[in-house]
Amino acid sequence: MCKECGCGETNGNTRLQFTVEGYTEELAKDVEKALFGLPGVLFVHIHAHDGETTVDYAPKKTKLMDILGVFQKRGLEAQL
Amino acid sequence: MEIKVIKNILGENDRFAAENMALFKDKNVFVVNFMGSPGAGKTSVLERTMEKLGSTLRMAVIEGDLFTSKDADRIDKYGVPVIQINTAGGCHLDANMVQKTAKDIDLDALDLLVIENVGNLVCPAEFALGEDARAVVLSVTEGDDKPMKYPLMFKESEIALINKIDLAPYCNFDRKSAKEDIEMLHPGIVVQEVSCTTGEGIDAWCDWLKAGVAKKKGQ
Ligand SMILES: Nc1nc2c(ncn2[C@@H]2O[C@H](COP(=O)(O)OP(=O)(O)OP(=O)(O)O)[C@@H](O)[C@H]2O)c(=O)[nH]1
Ligand SMILES: [Mg+2]
Ligand SMILES: [Zn+2]
Repeated sequence: MCKECGCGETNGNTRLQFTVEGYTEELAKDVEKALFGLPGVLFVHIHAHDGETTVDYAPKKTKLMDILGVFQKRGLEAQL
Repeated sequence: MEIKVIKNILGENDRFAAENMALFKDKNVFVVNFMGSPGAGKTSVLERTMEKLGSTLRMAVIEGDLFTSKDADRIDKYGVPVIQINTAGGCHLDANMVQKTAKDIDLDALDLLVIENVGNLVCPAEFALGEDARAVVLSVTEGDDKPMKYPLMFKESEIALINKIDLAPYCNFDRKSAKEDIEMLHPGIVVQEVSCTTGEGIDAWCDWLKAGVAKKKGQ
């Protein structure tokens, strides 16, 4: 269905993958929750043990600065 | 290149949606875009809603469906004005379809217009119709993992109804986890459990509709 109309395939979302240092299991959960709550964020996946972080978001709806702010606020640094 | 075409279509949809919104504002009609998977219970909730609110609110329904008028026939039995849009296979309603249809509705005689979208948990979320609010129906038979699998729908909706709650014990549906996921995806969203079979939660849903109507009228 969606292939026919093209909707959903090109919703303008971008996938970011980067490393974050200093995750604890709890911090990772907290970050995940905060990221999901942002407009246009449709997918978040965090490996707490090695810091690998994936975020699928719509730049039109949330600025990259706001994504990075989620880490900064918690004393974490995202290495883009 | 193909991406450009799609962007254009979306841009055009937003223009029609803005026109619809202006029309609905002018007429003080509270408009709800009612979405959810096939069989989630959208039409059933509308049936319960008409039973509760039929005499207190002036309501009309637009029914989006691929080919048939089965849902419109169900609404028609309640004496509520209903107009059918057939998308001829299209997986969602768009603002242009609604605009053409709205011309056939006496908006001056209405408080509430509910637009039942095509059964689909993905595409309708991407197309604004000019509505005041979006409501999504998720039923327990679909599974508690669906909000995280189809996040956009829940991010875009102001209220999520968890329907068929009477069946929750038989479906391994984790109510707490579903609610938490929906609230994580959309902080501030209203989550309401309902059952069209027992009537549970329907009053709360109707109160939400009444509040929307009152707000639109500036009361
Ligand atoms: N047990 C139970 N069954 C329900 C409930 N709500 C709806 N159903 C049944 O679920 C089936 C689908 O309901 P519909 O209202 O047609 O669903 P819909 O979302 O409008 O479906 P489409 O328009 O085809 O996308 C029907 O057989 C309903 O009787 C409920 O709360 N409990
Ligand atoms: Mg229906
Ligand atoms: Zn589609």
